[in-house]
Amino acid sequence: MLDFDANTLTVIVVMTLVTTLNRMAGFYVMRYVPITARMRRILDALPGAVLVALLAPGAVRGDIAMLAGLAVAVASARLVRNDLLPVGAAMAAAALVRAIT
Amino acid sequence: MTLAGTLEGARAMTPLLLGLLVFAMAYGAAAAQKGLSLGEATLFSGAVFAGLAQIAALEAWSDHFTAGGLVAIGFVTFAVNLRHVLMAAALRPWLGPLPAWQSYPSLLVLADNNWVLAMRYHSQGGMDGGYLLGAGLASWVIWVGGTLAGHLIGGGIPDPKVFGLDMVVPAFYIAMLVPSWQGRRHTIAWAVAAAASVTAAFLLPGWWFIVIGAMAGAIAGGFSD
Repeated sequence: MLDFDANTLTVIVVMTLVTTLNRMAGFYVMRYVPITARMRRILDALPGAVLVALLAPGAVRGDIAMLAGLAVAVASARLVRNDLLPVGAAMAAAALVRAIT
Repeated sequence: MTLAGTLEGARAMTPLLLGLLVFAMAYGAAAAQKGLSLGEATLFSGAVFAGLAQIAALEAWSDHFTAGGLVAIGFVTFAVNLRHVLMAAALRPWLGPLPAWQSYPSLLVLADNNWVLAMRYHSQGGMDGGYLLGAGLASWVIWVGGTLAGHLIGGGIPDPKVFGLDMVVPAFYIAMLVPSWQGRRHTIAWAVAAAASVTAAFLLPGWWFIVIGAMAGAIAGGFSD
């Protein structure tokens, strides 16, 4: 249960070092990068670009239920400013489509 | 950086908690199947705290990793989490003025969900550096606790898809994305990010599509003026 073997611990150490480097490197490097107007516009566009890049390939490869859920999420996010409602509506839509197909 | 801001960040994670918990439990059960002990699986989630990279490592799991295998796992982890470099870079203008003993430890819990929430909070005028940390700690507790519970329960965890739980994270991202649109620069950034990520997903193995799509979109948005 609480045994730890050397193989697993080595993998954990390697992955912890790499993920920590990934998490901190960008923040550290930007200390030496001047935030010009152009850089500010790039950073301003980044959150939306990250979200689209996370979503788009999954949407293209998704099943009908996934597409229905995403469509319902977009529609409900346009109607109300609330984080929970699109999540609940998309879950219900996808579960419903899967139940009837 | 205040306690109130930290709690506000943690509260903002609420819509995601159920979905994250079920996926953490699925990870814990899968780790048990691969022969990881309860302590190992829990330590894994607590120290690494990166779902995509952990699942990738589990898929390539070996009971006797060679040096070459470890390098390969390190490289896959780096590639999957390369997006965090961009995300942390975007936090510099906001968290840069904080003392390093506050900003760098906060980055230990940097993940997609708390970053997206924190960037929205900041774009709406929020300044409290605790927000990112609070939202990150909330996901960390769920991720580690869910791994532990999933490992204990083992098999028999229902398929998240039946309840539409695979929609939780994508729908949450849409809830973040849709209201954030602010004109032509975002239209261009989003269109380029979509085209680049879909193309990369078809052409390249693994998770390169995230960082390629994100960089292409952000740069296109930054140069559209």
